[in-house]
Amino acid sequence: MSRRIWQPIFALILLFGCGREENPGEPSRPVAQTAATETPSTPATGDWLVLHELSDPEQLNPLTSSDASSSEVLGFVFESLLTRDPRTLELKPLIAEARPEISQDRLVYTFRIRKDVRFQDGRPLTGEDLLFSVKAIKCPLVNAPFLRVYFNSLVDAQLLDPNTIRFVTKEPYFLNESVLGGIMLLPRDYYDPENLLKNISIRDLLKGPAQLDENVKKFADNFNRNYNRNPQGSGPYRFHRWKTGQEVELVRDPDYWGMGKPGIDQPFVDRLKFRVVNNMDAALVRLKSGSLDYMEVLQPVQVVRGTHSERFNREFKKYEYYAPTYTYIGWNNDHPIFRDKRVRKAMTYLTDRKQIVKSVLFGLGEVVEGPIYFFRPEYDKELPGYPFDPKKGLALLREAGWSDTDGDGVLDKFIDGKKVPLRFEIKINSGNAVRKSVALVLLDELKKHGIAASVRELDWTIFLNDVKNHQFDAVVLGWQMSTAEPDAYQVWHSSQAANKGSNAISYKNARVDEILEIYRREFDAHKRIQMYKEFQQILHDEQPYTFLYVGKRVSAVHRRFQSVEVFPDGLRPIDWWVPLAQQKYVSTVTAQ
Amino acid sequence: MSRNKSSPAAFESAEFDTATVATQSAAGLWSDVWRRFKRNPIALTGFYVVFILAFMALFADFLANDLPYYSVYKGKSYFPIFRSYVVGVKLGRWPAELLNVDFKKLEGASSIFPPIPYRPSSINLLEPLEPPSTRHWFGTDKLGRDITAGMIHGSRISLSIGFVAVGIAVIVGVVLGAIAGYFGSWVDLVISRLFEIMLSIPTFFLLITVAALLPPSIFLTMAIIGSTSWVGIARFTRNEFLRIRNLDYVTSAIALGVSDRTVMFKHILPNALAPVIVSVVLGIAGAILVESALSFLGIGVPAELVTWGSILHEASSTTFAWWLAVFPGFAIFITVLAYYLVGEGLREVLDPRLRGLR
Amino acid sequence: MAAYLLQRMLLMVPTFIGITLIGFLIMRLAPGDPAELRAAGGLGAAAGAGISVEKRGAVDEAMAQWRAQYGLDKPLHVQYAVWMRNLFTLSFGESFKDSQSVWGKITERLPVTVKLNVWSILVVYLVAIPLGIYSATHPNSFADQVSTLTAFILFAVPLVWAATMAVVFICGGDFYYLFPPGGLESLDFSDDWSVWKKIKDHTWHLFLPVVLLSYDGFAGLSRYMRASMLEVLRQDYVQVARAKGLAEQVVVYKHVLRNSLIPQVTILASILPGLIGGSIIIETIFSIPGLGQLGYESVLARDYPTVMALFTVSAVLTLIGILISDILLSLVDPRIVFGRRLQ
Repeated sequence: MSRRIWQPIFALILLFGCGREENPGEPSRPVAQTAATETPSTPATGDWLVLHELSDPEQLNPLTSSDASSSEVLGFVFESLLTRDPRTLELKPLIAEARPEISQDRLVYTFRIRKDVRFQDGRPLTGEDLLFSVKAIKCPLVNAPFLRVYFNSLVDAQLLDPNTIRFVTKEPYFLNESVLGGIMLLPRDYYDPENLLKNISIRDLLKGPAQLDENVKKFADNFNRNYNRNPQGSGPYRFHRWKTGQEVELVRDPDYWGMGKPGIDQPFVDRLKFRVVNNMDAALVRLKSGSLDYMEVLQPVQVVRGTHSERFNREFKKYEYYAPTYTYIGWNNDHPIFRDKRVRKAMTYLTDRKQIVKSVLFGLGEVVEGPIYFFRPEYDKELPGYPFDPKKGLALLREAGWSDTDGDGVLDKFIDGKKVPLRFEIKINSGNAVRKSVALVLLDELKKHGIAASVRELDWTIFLNDVKNHQFDAVVLGWQMSTAEPDAYQVWHSSQAANKGSNAISYKNARVDEILEIYRREFDAHKRIQMYKEFQQILHDEQPYTFLYVGKRVSAVHRRFQSVEVFPDGLRPIDWWVPLAQQKYVSTVTAQ
Repeated sequence: MSRNKSSPAAFESAEFDTATVATQSAAGLWSDVWRRFKRNPIALTGFYVVFILAFMALFADFLANDLPYYSVYKGKSYFPIFRSYVVGVKLGRWPAELLNVDFKKLEGASSIFPPIPYRPSSINLLEPLEPPSTRHWFGTDKLGRDITAGMIHGSRISLSIGFVAVGIAVIVGVVLGAIAGYFGSWVDLVISRLFEIMLSIPTFFLLITVAALLPPSIFLTMAIIGSTSWVGIARFTRNEFLRIRNLDYVTSAIALGVSDRTVMFKHILPNALAPVIVSVVLGIAGAILVESALSFLGIGVPAELVTWGSILHEASSTTFAWWLAVFPGFAIFITVLAYYLVGEGLREVLDPRLRGLR
Repeated sequence: MAAYLLQRMLLMVPTFIGITLIGFLIMRLAPGDPAELRAAGGLGAAAGAGISVEKRGAVDEAMAQWRAQYGLDKPLHVQYAVWMRNLFTLSFGESFKDSQSVWGKITERLPVTVKLNVWSILVVYLVAIPLGIYSATHPNSFADQVSTLTAFILFAVPLVWAATMAVVFICGGDFYYLFPPGGLESLDFSDDWSVWKKIKDHTWHLFLPVVLLSYDGFAGLSRYMRASMLEVLRQDYVQVARAKGLAEQVVVYKHVLRNSLIPQVTILASILPGLIGGSIIIETIFSIPGLGQLGYESVLARDYPTVMALFTVSAVLTLIGILISDILLSLVDPRIVFGRRLQ
């Protein structure tokens, strides 16, 4: 009886087990010849790009979404006044005709908008849409508290004429132009069909939530609830559909207003499919089997092991570049052990940073000595590095008064009359295997020299809470920056140590404070670079952090895509196109 | 008075003994149990495996350690492993020249090392992800830690979690079940509602919630596994107490004025333990499985600790390193299988109804 | 019968309250602040890259606002009361992660988990029952011993091991590619495909998850079936039936089977609550967008409304399951009337 069950089961296994994923439409063309054929120089439209997304976007509302996946998708659908030149990283106009006029006192910014911009529904974009977009951000009832915070300094916005807007800010800050230029333009008639915000001014919105008009509440309610799965903007790609947990699909807009115009990024690929695969291994398998075309992030292990075969290199090309982040060990400068800068410097000497990059990152990274993005002009390349030198480290510790007086294998010292062993806890957050490895490697090395460190892995929210409340001895963390101009005030100024600010290690240095304050008001880029050189030298001497490394990012792209280039900010899929002869997917792009 | 219709005569005769004789024949019962148990070759094999695992867990420090058993250095002889225990309880100290030293690299020392000369936590960045070889029998993980050492020391963690968790479950379960079964009526009603609540809670989900949200620690894991798995034991105990409570020797003890507590724990409990014992053995296996699932998901285990589940966790993200998947999983499998076989063997021996078939 | 049902339902109320209270307390008393995760841009971003310098700023005021909006600044008992009150209008609130209706998220993923579990239950029963019957009717034969041993082995194989081995060895990667490493359907799944093609695709994707979910089930159930049948076979009335001259087949299939199936019914009811917890590991490893995965992610993201909702749904399912099993038992077992076993 049981045999009768097993036979069909085995048959099923044989039948379906050996299948592979096929693609619909045209029979697959042999892709192996990509490398050999000549590629024409004029880009062709067509084909699909299937991108890997590690997690589903939480929602596709341009203002209330705050996760990385939604930002990536929405970046193709919406546009802003200014954008950055991919090569020079300078601000340049997109929806605006030119960079804004800035008043003498640096408080007023005036932008003129292009007259030929159209939204995806065909309607022209005017100053009214821009003003609406600003109101939506400033509205305290819209669920975007983390976006709104950037605009705290904006106190008024007025339309001078249908295509000109004037912004008034509270205090001079050289990054204001970039913030204002980055406002995403939303079509008013789509996001506020009843024009509820028509008679509300920006000044009205500065009031507390209780004093706001009924219309504002109605608008915010509607905006928060009903616009999470159907974005509409002015960008080159239109939202098509979203299968939750699986895929978001964008379709090229053939009537894109920027088509054929100089200085505007042109779209070529017909469809962008953001395919969600939560597991990195599964994603690599899908890449290799043809279900994905582009993986933005390959794990170091995959780079070194899973992507070396001849077949892989025939079909895919790997690109390496640096992301503007850095990882560090943060010492609690208020902790009795780490108050002494000699101890902190000793720790840096005891950390084999080069070996960590080699073994834990498989060589995909660079050791850094300061908090500025490695590739920005402000980074001081002349700083001498701290080599891995346990002898020097131990000498510094001895100088600071640490030795093993009781023979238990752990260094100790008398602080305030009590014998304190050199024992501390490094906190890390769960979910990050690389940082865990870094902490464990450090632990192992320190143990050999009589330093009893331990590791505690905590859930992110608990971890962050401890960090902000300064409840830690040491942490391994990273900072994520942008490739734009740095501003270190938030992390290094002593005022930011209170109130759960970003200066979690309680670093205090009067000269650094001075530099950081003057820097913000300095509009001359050269002078800023000089100031920051001094800043980095002070940090180098005091080692409030042990700066570890900047990680290298490796992406894999299917070879049929042309114009794939590495820019300071990474790759730009919008530029990519596939020659007609090698296009894999065929679809018709219907104009609406 | 409820009576189980199909109980064979052998068991019925035990029910009529008085209290004192009950304890004596309980002892006779256990040697009888052991005799019958030995007749089952499969269960016996399981028992030996359990024994070997316990040995391995107890003596892990002597099986896998980077400190040698015996070392001669500068003319003096030392026993480093013992010394580390002594220093650990603060009764001694290391001589200055042996402080934190790596015995393998120590010049002028000749040492005898344990069969696996590594500690599970010894990181070696020069040998990451090595497949099984003569140097590392089961290979290494991404930080160069020896997997064989990890498996031996991991047994300690898995078994202790299993024992303590089930210990907690037994205490809670037996006490609650006894009270419910003995007193009956509204007490039973209330406690049975409690059983129902515990059964209705999605246990694994609850475990994940608690383990993921609180800072990881072994004790926490033991506690939460124990506090979610007592219901089965409680129910068995309750059923047994309900049954035995109405037997003559018990009712006569109560009539004689023996206190409730004495009746429950001296007279009824020894006879009610049979299903509990089986549950304990199976429970240990279950707890080990749950612990491996939790550490596989990366929760509940402190970062420095290497457990069977944590190695599997690494395996799932480094799929070419098959040795990370095969060996620890196999270890969990063998351990769980051994306990199951013992548990099933015990059940067959202790369950009166099946006795007739042997 | 009606009175009995009413009595049972009333008894379920304290159980229900107990479960929801436990779920609520655990989520709320656990340290950690969901506002923090929102600020960091979601869990993935947080764990991965680190804190974004730009996003820190004076974000605390924003978080306070966010907390106020969701009523997280009120005292605990008020929060619980509000939540229970909303429950009666079947409104589970909005998810903290993405402000979508929690109920919507659950109903979106429910079919997937249900499909996975229904298939698994079917497979378990289809394999275990016949296996158990065969073992019971040919006790201690070679086949019986083999299936007993196999049952033990399958029981002992840890799910995490089996799933990891599957992913390592047969789902692409360095060894064989027999099954897809995850997902419900192929990338280019299209609604224009023929029904047969769709079915084939879904089967290929679900085969491994279902097998992995069910293997310990059919080990356990077949043993249970065997034991139960053996018990019945020893009963007096079976001897009587044989003595009356009835063919063995008739004895087994008509009398014994029906009576030994009774306990199996109770097992079915206990499977319902396992719907959410049971598939967490499988859904995580194979990226299947079901309730288990939702539960796990919601816990990590401290998405209180969703976790509470899942707890509640699971509780309700369990209670319904127990009730159904008792009713079925009453119907099937003539010795039990209104839930009380006759003496």
